[in-house]
Amino acid sequence: MNLIDIRNLSIELQTTTKPILAVDRVNLTMKEGEVRGLVGESGSGKSLLAQAIVGVLDEKWKVDADRFHWRGNDLMRLSAEERKAIISKDVAMIFQEPMACLDPTTTIGEQLEEAVDVEQLSGFFWQRRQQRKLAAINLLHKVGIKQHEVCVKSFPHQLTDALCQRVMIAMALARRPMLLIADEPTAAMESTNQGQIFRLLASLNQLKNMSILLISHDLENVTHWTNTITVMYSGQFVEAGTTEQIFNQPYHPYTRALVDSSPKANRMIPNKSRLMTLPGSIPILQHLPIGCRLGPRCPRAQQKCVHAPKIKNFHGHQVSCHFPLKDSYS
Amino acid sequence: MLIFTLRRFSLFFFTMLLLTILSFSLSFLFPGEQLVNLTGQINASPEQLAALAYEYQQQASLLTQYFSYINHLFHGDMGYSMTSHLPIMTEILNRLPATVELTCVALLLAMFVGIPVGFCAAIYHRKAADNIILAIAMIGYSIPVFWLGILVILVFSIQLGWLPSAGQISLLFEIPHITGLQLIDILLSDSEYKWQAFQDATRHLILPVIVVALAPATIFMRLARSAMLEVLDTHYIKAAKAKGLTFSQIIYRHAMRNAVIKVIRDVGLQFAHLITIAMVTEVIFSWPGIGRWLIESIYQRDYTAIQGGLIVLSTFIFIVHIIIDFVYAALNPLAREPNNGT
Repeated sequence: MNLIDIRNLSIELQTTTKPILAVDRVNLTMKEGEVRGLVGESGSGKSLLAQAIVGVLDEKWKVDADRFHWRGNDLMRLSAEERKAIISKDVAMIFQEPMACLDPTTTIGEQLEEAVDVEQLSGFFWQRRQQRKLAAINLLHKVGIKQHEVCVKSFPHQLTDALCQRVMIAMALARRPMLLIADEPTAAMESTNQGQIFRLLASLNQLKNMSILLISHDLENVTHWTNTITVMYSGQFVEAGTTEQIFNQPYHPYTRALVDSSPKANRMIPNKSRLMTLPGSIPILQHLPIGCRLGPRCPRAQQKCVHAPKIKNFHGHQVSCHFPLKDSYS
Repeated sequence: MLIFTLRRFSLFFFTMLLLTILSFSLSFLFPGEQLVNLTGQINASPEQLAALAYEYQQQASLLTQYFSYINHLFHGDMGYSMTSHLPIMTEILNRLPATVELTCVALLLAMFVGIPVGFCAAIYHRKAADNIILAIAMIGYSIPVFWLGILVILVFSIQLGWLPSAGQISLLFEIPHITGLQLIDILLSDSEYKWQAFQDATRHLILPVIVVALAPATIFMRLARSAMLEVLDTHYIKAAKAKGLTFSQIIYRHAMRNAVIKVIRDVGLQFAHLITIAMVTEVIFSWPGIGRWLIESIYQRDYTAIQGGLIVLSTFIFIVHIIIDFVYAALNPLAREPNNGT
């Protein structure tokens, strides 16, 4: 059974003139225990998609989907409150810039304690305070923070970025989620700290069978940690498949360009030569191209590309392109 | 925290330095004899004047004169009022508590009404409640205080007769002067009509306090509204939502505290504004405070009183400012850090 199954999810930005389609009919499916990478340039709508799943977008954004199933439950049929109840119970999210995501005037301990679910506590209300404290300390231990006494009393600005991110993960773990959405959890972090955070996420996945949706702009880094990858471009679905499929045999010209643009993926290129890049830059929201949004930059674009392509499925390797690169490998 | 305190005190020191320099130079700038302006003794004989000139070291350099002036200030000697011939210090000590009472009650009222209302406006952003609150804030801020004072007296004390229009307390009650703050004095006194006196004093306080508090309250509303909107837009509120907290939990546990911190910063600034309003209100309501006395002194060209009143009022404003800064530091852990405490 799929953990989450989203079909044709669109997110519209309501402006005073006309609504802008920031995310255009994106599909996303995840199985239990899967680590899926969601890759795209900044501005490709991956954070929006994640926030739409968790339901923290404000009224400016209008979310629409043909199908939004959570463990077989059709969430589209439920009211907003019921949806929020289910989602906040089973899905947790961590953000980039962990320091900004913690309340600067409240201690870490208090913030952790309030994340602890009431249902996990037992006994009378006077015992709960103590239990909450214990639960908070346990959570800190789970994410590998040993000096819990210092940490609980600190304010966010007294901790480093990596520690703050660990605290965020601890808070996310408080409700024992099935799915953890990590929105660029290591942006602006040193590489040693990045490794720590990724290893922590990987161990949580393995030990607790927690699914992780890992959002990143760095395809190469993500490939080390994920089973499957979904690629997005400018709010459109590009390609999805296993990490090997995406990294070794991308079918979409955009994914091909992404892989080619990383120095590690093509070691055979001569020294000091230019890396392969697409011409131009990602279109701004006010001037989105019609059809396939990659069209103006795509090396394989033809007249047909002014119509949005249908998603083609090659043994679980989905690609949204009129002219996939499938035949170029063989 | 120690560095934070030291910084406040150094700020206090330098502000007082500038203030005393200003007040000292006023005695030169006002028309008439400088020594007379400084001491307020307009009817002194030549011998007395010579003695005063010696006392204030008039023969020495300007710097020495300034230091002798400071010396007198420290001994509580601000000269004599030109009109009443009483020592300025006695005059001020008689009147300052009434002003302190009026302004502090008004400040608290403005804060406790304005800030929550502003929060409500932010929570109902772009809904009817928000627009109504903004409109009220705009109107409240635009009403001139002297007109409002007279209007309030006309309606509530003359037409409806609900509340008294002038003074601090009915003349029937005799309250011994202990702290000078009327309400506290009443509670300390052992008169058998204590509670009647307290009620009467409170009734006298209501109208002037409302008039003084209206404009600052509307400013606090707008400050609180924008602070709350800013806080509600931050990442940590979004993270708290993702954590599964309900909206009221988010507001009470995270948003309010952070928004209050942003507002508290500006309360100190608004207090100076509030004092100005209080001075006008004291005249309208015949409140026996320092503001009314100062305005009368200006009318009567009582230069010594103007200098003294200026120093005392600014010191009062500054002390309140520092207290508010400490409240700010108590609420905001970031401000307590030595490298962040500006």
